[in-house]
Amino acid sequence: MKNEYCPDRRTVILCVAASDSHVVANHIIAYLLRSHGFNVVNLGACTTVSDICDALLRWPEAEAVLVGSLNGHARQDLADLPEAKDRGAITCPVIVGGNLSVAVDSDISKDAALYALGVDYILRDPSMIPAVLDRLRVQRDDDLAGSPASPRIEEPSNGC
Amino acid sequence: MDADELPLIADSVAFVKGLKKPTVADVLRSAQAQGLVAIQPRCGVGGHEQMRALLLALEEGARPDILSLTIDSYTRLNQFDMALSALCNAPEELNGYPLVTHGWRRGRDLNQAISVPLEVRHGSPLPRRLFETAVASGITSFEGGGISYNLPYCKDVPLVDSLNAYAEIDARCGELAQAGVVVDRELFGSLTGVLVPPSVSLAISVLEAVMAAHAGVACISIAYPQSGNMVQDVAALRAIRSLAVRYLPPSVDVYPVLHEFMGVFPKSRARAEQLIFAGALTARLGGAAKVVTKTIQEGYGIPDASANIHGMRLARVANAPFIHSIRLDESALDEEQYWIEREVDEIVGPLLEAIDLPLAISSAFEDGSLDVPFSASRHARSSVMPCRDRAGAVRYLDAGGLPFSEDVRRRNRSLLEDRWLTADDHERMQLLMADINYFLEPPGEQEFDFVPAVVESATQGSDPEETYVA
Repeated sequence: MKNEYCPDRRTVILCVAASDSHVVANHIIAYLLRSHGFNVVNLGACTTVSDICDALLRWPEAEAVLVGSLNGHARQDLADLPEAKDRGAITCPVIVGGNLSVAVDSDISKDAALYALGVDYILRDPSMIPAVLDRLRVQRDDDLAGSPASPRIEEPSNGC
Repeated sequence: MDADELPLIADSVAFVKGLKKPTVADVLRSAQAQGLVAIQPRCGVGGHEQMRALLLALEEGARPDILSLTIDSYTRLNQFDMALSALCNAPEELNGYPLVTHGWRRGRDLNQAISVPLEVRHGSPLPRRLFETAVASGITSFEGGGISYNLPYCKDVPLVDSLNAYAEIDARCGELAQAGVVVDRELFGSLTGVLVPPSVSLAISVLEAVMAAHAGVACISIAYPQSGNMVQDVAALRAIRSLAVRYLPPSVDVYPVLHEFMGVFPKSRARAEQLIFAGALTARLGGAAKVVTKTIQEGYGIPDASANIHGMRLARVANAPFIHSIRLDESALDEEQYWIEREVDEIVGPLLEAIDLPLAISSAFEDGSLDVPFSASRHARSSVMPCRDRAGAVRYLDAGGLPFSEDVRRRNRSLLEDRWLTADDHERMQLLMADINYFLEPPGEQEFDFVPAVVESATQGSDPEETYVA
């Protein structure tokens, strides 16, 4: 899409949630990931779950989908996520980050609602993304190597 | 509301002549001749009567030289049925004036109600109907360009489409000039409004201006966004003159315009006023023909009429005679201007040799040799990452695929603080956000001695003198 695609690099899909047009943080994250050597397929602002599924058809090698949400509507914008996961359109981990709710004190319940939709990881510090991607990849490689049941991805311990 | 036929071009020309007031081009020429800066606000509300009341309040309260019709976002996207529905049900919820929906007769009504000329400000990539309605309304300035009103405003309109739409508009401006009415075309160099490097802003304006001049446009305003570093900003405004001489035919009138700071605005009244006045001062020192003003409510939303009037009055202080004697460091200005022009030349040079310029521009955005930071559109890469240097000037942290020489790259690097080299991811994020929020005071300092009014269009026409007695 926007960036130079290199077949030998790791690929991630990056976007901003469907009702959200905040692109500044999105571009900074794309910049950081590219400087780490990732192919960043940046779908940009106002991306629906269906747009994400389309991108995964084109870039099936993507190891994660990163969704930014700054306007407090993450849960509504990802309402179609369970259906997409059920039918196998999204099989890689989905990471959501940003200001996830308008009211600060309801963060915890909002997090639970997002996990219930099938979000695998919630991040509030974007600089953690490369480390989380590394961890998820190790986990996936372990799974492929025949570890027993896929472990539930643990909550980040330090609140990030 | 008004779906009937547009008037013939001769009728619109006769209407403009009959208004017995200057065109925008007349105002710019006169301001430039006097060494003064024309003052213009942004303003637009949904209802017609409310819009007229707002224009009259702003004219009465601040005597601007040009007034604006800021257009709502439905109209910008050609969603005229949505604009009509909003107008019928809740006009106060529109974020601008739906000119196409109101129709050209109401546009003429607004134009006749005030003594200064009007400009249409919008953000539409495909504005044919808006332009025709504006012309029929006797409006003598139309903002935007095929690049600058596409990439910041929409996600997926191909550049060739918006460039073609603006080529038609520019050609119509050529016909109108032949018929005796000059329609000024203001190019939106402010782009995404976030840390736009001067050479990106000016390079894109140069490309749009070359196409406009080729199509017959007689008056071009090149708008540049205040970065906040006065030497850089004055140098950029001065560079507009040199670039016009280099790239545009002498028959075209070109005017530098300053847009007061477009990024994250400070919340406290004192800091907002400092930034507004610094912008107006920059415009005057840089020889801008016009400044488009901001307000102390910028950090909170769409300003009311009182704040808008206050912002214009504050900007007008920079037209005071004593400002004339203020001097910046000329050698610093010369050096900065040299590098800005050189960067612009390196960006536009290869493109201007192309036979099909719109196609070349579209391909250049695809391969990254043309780029804007923080684009909303998937048709620009936004691989360019800007930041501020030690003095607060906007530089390239990463120039992406822009075709810069090693000299340009070396100078950019040399101006950046060493911290950029040693910072880890977390620190780089923090540094970039700090540069974007450069003028936003720390949370503890955001108390302000001005309680911003709740943004309602009903308050927009209120008497400004209640709040701001001179």
